[in-house]
Amino acid sequence: MSGGRHLPRLCALVCMLGAAPGALGAQSSDSLFAPGLRAYKNLEFDVAAWLLRRDVAHLTAAGAPSAERARALVYLGAADLFRGRRDSAVAVFRRLVMLDPRYRPDRLVFPPEVTTLFDGVRLQTKTVAVEVPRDTTIAPDAGAFDIWLIASSFQTVEVTLRYADGGPFRSLYAGPVGDSLKVQWDGLDAAGAPPPVSRVVLRVASRSPTGELAGIVQLPLDLRLSRPDTLPWPPPPADGQLLPERATSGAAKRSLVGGLLLSGAVAALPALVGGTDTPSGPRIAVAGTIGFAGLLGYVLHRPGRPLPGNVRANQTLRDAWQRRVASTTTENARRRREVHVVVRAGEPTTIQPRGP
Amino acid sequence: MRLALVVLATALTAGELRAQALRPTGSASFVTARVRSEVPAGIDQFTGPAFLGQGALAIGRVELSVSYLQGTLNHDGGSVAGRDLVEGTVLLGVRALQWLTLEGGPHARAYALAGSTQRWLFWELRARAATAFVGSAAQGYAELWRAVAADANVPEPFDHAQGGEVGMILRMARAPFSARVGYRIDHAVLGGGTRLETVEGVVIGIGLSGR
Repeated sequence: MSGGRHLPRLCALVCMLGAAPGALGAQSSDSLFAPGLRAYKNLEFDVAAWLLRRDVAHLTAAGAPSAERARALVYLGAADLFRGRRDSAVAVFRRLVMLDPRYRPDRLVFPPEVTTLFDGVRLQTKTVAVEVPRDTTIAPDAGAFDIWLIASSFQTVEVTLRYADGGPFRSLYAGPVGDSLKVQWDGLDAAGAPPPVSRVVLRVASRSPTGELAGIVQLPLDLRLSRPDTLPWPPPPADGQLLPERATSGAAKRSLVGGLLLSGAVAALPALVGGTDTPSGPRIAVAGTIGFAGLLGYVLHRPGRPLPGNVRANQTLRDAWQRRVASTTTENARRRREVHVVVRAGEPTTIQPRGP
Repeated sequence: MRLALVVLATALTAGELRAQALRPTGSASFVTARVRSEVPAGIDQFTGPAFLGQGALAIGRVELSVSYLQGTLNHDGGSVAGRDLVEGTVLLGVRALQWLTLEGGPHARAYALAGSTQRWLFWELRARAATAFVGSAAQGYAELWRAVAADANVPEPFDHAQGGEVGMILRMARAPFSARVGYRIDHAVLGGGTRLETVEGVVIGIGLSGR
């Protein structure tokens, strides 16, 4: 083994031991890949690479959090770099960038060789992370479904919604993205109508500056249309609220009988109180007047006669009911138009194009 | 008797006077009065027009009513001088039912003759029933009264007296005015029937009621 080959390892050793022992301890708190990390710290990079590669495979298979996998990957890349496997280190770092475009190696832990190589790989790797809320309800003309794109480096992206079979549903954005970008979807299809399907796929395609497809991130979106309940129809006026619109026989009979009784009382009053020899003329005149009033009342209140006052009162009630019906109709029509789109986002998947 | 009337009115109206609005009414009527006085010596009969003014003040179910009648009556045969008739009542009543009012109080009557005045004073109990019979526009009423005590400066002792009135009141739909037509009669018996006094008349008038 030549002295030139050992020089980078010595530099790395000096940097690690002298610069950040505390930070290294903090980052190695997780014991999932502790043997590999210990070998790395002991400068046994071949052993460390073998152990870390095995641990990364286990973490990936177990579906470990991306932060854990990212930490294992950065040590694996650094180990590959220090054991002289630069291509392997580049591949590991590319994998790390694809896993988490926001990841940056701690510059207090890793020497510049590692961070420089990582930055170079990151600049060459075109991928994005897609962050969306788990559940979103989009109100018409108001709300939107927010899509945050976090780019690994400057690139051009195409953000589209597609049917489950891959057919285009709606294009949301096509253009450059530097660090991050927020794209919004108003919950409608290309024609401005609520989506006719229950599932679409959010696809973010990254392209290199030369236009080559660099990667695709897809995210299933489950859709549900939610309409507010409509109001019930107002009940029509109850029979008990409506007044009779035709006169019954009661008022007419009351007039006739009342007139007859009063007339008879006038005629019989002198006999009742004991008066004798009273002239009948004035009494008959009064009795006749009252009797005529009763007869006139019978004619005016004859059965079946329309009662305009009651008709007007009933019409007022019916008009008020019709106004309530019209108001309810308008409100229900508004509510039927007010369709909310409920979006539930699934887990993103990354598709890497095959190399030439 | 007077005390009993006051106690009866007070008992019926206790608790009704608070928080009630006053309801005044009044009327002016023309009466064609006829007085028939039958004594063993003969029969005197007088007729003539008279003015009748009536007023009432009600609060809750309690009502105080007054009336005043005045007119000059002429002898039907023309052989005897005419006489002036003056009559007045003050009655305190209570509306026992929506359509029934019970009243009591003094009823005074005087005939002004040449050189003397014949005075009558009745203490009466009255019952008055009133209800609409042609829609709400025409109200019929019937009233009966009986004297429970009387005092008159005539030779014969008082025996009994009673009277009544039946008529109709037409109310304007949107105005406080009313028109009235009725027939009234009262009959007094004195001296075991040796003296009979009958006063009757047709009443035509207009009224005004506060609302």
